[in-house]
Amino acid sequence: MTSRFTRRMAARLGLAAGLALAGAAYAQAQTTLRIFTGGQQRPDVMRQIVDGYMKANPNVKVEVEVGGATSEQQQQYLNTVLASKDSALDLILIDVIRPAQWAAAQWAEPLDAYLGAEKDAIMARYLPAYRAANIVNGKVIALPYFADAQFLYYRKDLLEKHGLQPPKTWDELKAAARKIMAAEGNANLRGFETAGAPIEGTVCTYLVPLWGSGEDMLKGGKLNLAGAAAKKPFELWADLKAANVTPPNLAEIPTDRIRQNMQAGNLIFGMSWGYVWNRLQNDADSTVKGKIGVVPLPGFTADRQATCIGGWQVAVSAFSKNKAEAAKLARYLSSPEVAKQQAILASHLPVFPGVYTDADVLKANPWFEQALPVVQSARSRPVTPRYTEVSEIMRTNMNAFLAGTKTADQALGDMTNRLGAIFR
Amino acid sequence: MSDTIRHRLTPLEKSERRLGFAMLAPAFLLLAAVVLYPIVELIRNSFHFNHLAQPWMGTPFVGFENYVKALGDDRFHEAVLHTVLYVLVTVPGAVVIGLGLALLANQPFSVKWPVRLGLLLPWALPLVFAGLIFRWFFEYNQGIANAMLRGLGLEPLNWLTSPGLAFFAICLAIIWKSSSFVALVLLAGLQTIPKSFYEAAEVDGATKWQQFREITLPMLRPAIFVALIFRTITAIQTFDIPYAMTNGGPGNSTETLAMYIHKTTVDFLDLGYGSALAVLMFIVSAVITSVYLRHTRRDPGRH
Repeated sequence: MTSRFTRRMAARLGLAAGLALAGAAYAQAQTTLRIFTGGQQRPDVMRQIVDGYMKANPNVKVEVEVGGATSEQQQQYLNTVLASKDSALDLILIDVIRPAQWAAAQWAEPLDAYLGAEKDAIMARYLPAYRAANIVNGKVIALPYFADAQFLYYRKDLLEKHGLQPPKTWDELKAAARKIMAAEGNANLRGFETAGAPIEGTVCTYLVPLWGSGEDMLKGGKLNLAGAAAKKPFELWADLKAANVTPPNLAEIPTDRIRQNMQAGNLIFGMSWGYVWNRLQNDADSTVKGKIGVVPLPGFTADRQATCIGGWQVAVSAFSKNKAEAAKLARYLSSPEVAKQQAILASHLPVFPGVYTDADVLKANPWFEQALPVVQSARSRPVTPRYTEVSEIMRTNMNAFLAGTKTADQALGDMTNRLGAIFR
Repeated sequence: MSDTIRHRLTPLEKSERRLGFAMLAPAFLLLAAVVLYPIVELIRNSFHFNHLAQPWMGTPFVGFENYVKALGDDRFHEAVLHTVLYVLVTVPGAVVIGLGLALLANQPFSVKWPVRLGLLLPWALPLVFAGLIFRWFFEYNQGIANAMLRGLGLEPLNWLTSPGLAFFAICLAIIWKSSSFVALVLLAGLQTIPKSFYEAAEVDGATKWQQFREITLPMLRPAIFVALIFRTITAIQTFDIPYAMTNGGPGNSTETLAMYIHKTTVDFLDLGYGSALAVLMFIVSAVITSVYLRHTRRDPGRH
């Protein structure tokens, strides 16, 4: 009897001790935050940044989940995670075109409460375009992580060799590319590439020349593609294709292929985003280190240049179980220190005007000085909760046109019909 | 009638029967949860407006609106047409190639495993991998297809960015991927044909071709039907390979019905319309399968 009693007692004591230990461990235990980023947004640099954060905050463990390379691939995955209200992700890096959509779908936790009284002061520090993009109906939906815009990357060495200046107009670009291609006689060397595959970036392939001709896709919330300007992008790309300046397979080229082709020395001009610089200068297999220049994109006339605004934001998932800790990390990721770190490690354009003129940043990216006005004047793709549909219509028709399966009139007609049903 | 049967059951039999139901219940419930419930939900959704990008619109009942929209949707028509073309090309293609492979694998090789492995590998490869591999075969600059054309002194082709060539390339990938499954089914059928039939035919002086037509084909008919049914159903659902190779491009010229449904639901989050499209696809699959099944039932070659 006694022995059974003691045994039971011992078991109870053991259990209590176990619980106490578990409790103590819990008190020290960490909040694990999981952040989602695209494969092209330099997850390696994100890892370095969050490692620094973990050192300063030992109670937090940050996992980095890496998703698809292109914006629409990432969104496809996120759609399934968030539509099922999955709490697996705490923070998510989202494209600048998404906050309106995320606010409408109620996927992002509004950050106003976490910013508290400092909200206005914090938001005032950012470049105006990013402040505007991340505040939807008065609520802070996400915080900017890095800025971006499309630039013209060019082979400085080849232009100098052939006595050419960086082009300011599309005609100059065409002439320069033809001259260099003819003189070099290298069958692998292409003149110019922009995104042409049915991916998000191809939306800008249409919009940049549209803006360059002085119009916008929407006017007062209504579709504005009836005028002559709506045809200009088709005419431009058809012209460059006819001149053999763009490659025959432009319709299968996604964003990062432009960087790869440039890096392999097979491209004179590339229309792409800020990250390309760092890869061309620093990647081990880059054949063009020190041979690259960056300028604003050409226009139809030298005085009217346009570019697409890009960039990535940190949103806190509305389904996260650690929103307060996640919001703290979001604020850190959206700080000037991190912006500087990213600028040096990945040539990610800062969202704070002051960081552009930082001496260390300029040392790593001499072209950032001219980049600031470009980012400041960059324009936004249409803002709508149904952006995924809008984007799909534009990129699919642009892709069909670039592949030569639709004429400009067919592509524009189909685009207008389908977009018209959305922007009624 | 059932009462009399029940009365005749002994208590032991009754408890056996209860046990039987109890043991089936988990499987049935699981099946109901993963098959029946989603189908019911799908049909219910197809009669509602349900667009996750517009949650403020709610999910009102809209009757047949989604179905009416589908009937007037060009993109739906095109996707159906593309799917039908894939079925018409890849089902006979896979069966013909699969039959050839099965006959080859059925030869009395002294070492059988290389042929068998060759048959199993494409079948074991995930569809999307096959799609990615073939995408690189047909890539413009680095692809092996254009390397061969260049080697022959010909101009490289835009395999994946011109609709006709992209369709051809995708069909090739699908046939390569699926013919090994067909071959496995047919190989099993071939091995049930008694050797004595061929020996008797040999004695009667029948040629190899006559043996094939008079013995192999008729005896193989049930297996061919099974392969046809499976291949047709999977062909109607074609998704992975064109998704990986062209993502429906150029434009949407290689987009299948399954891809359009995926795009509508997963990309656009338009669950109502996507569900209606999925129900339509379900109906098409069910009709085709029932036609096949009726045909097999009537088939005299079965016995």
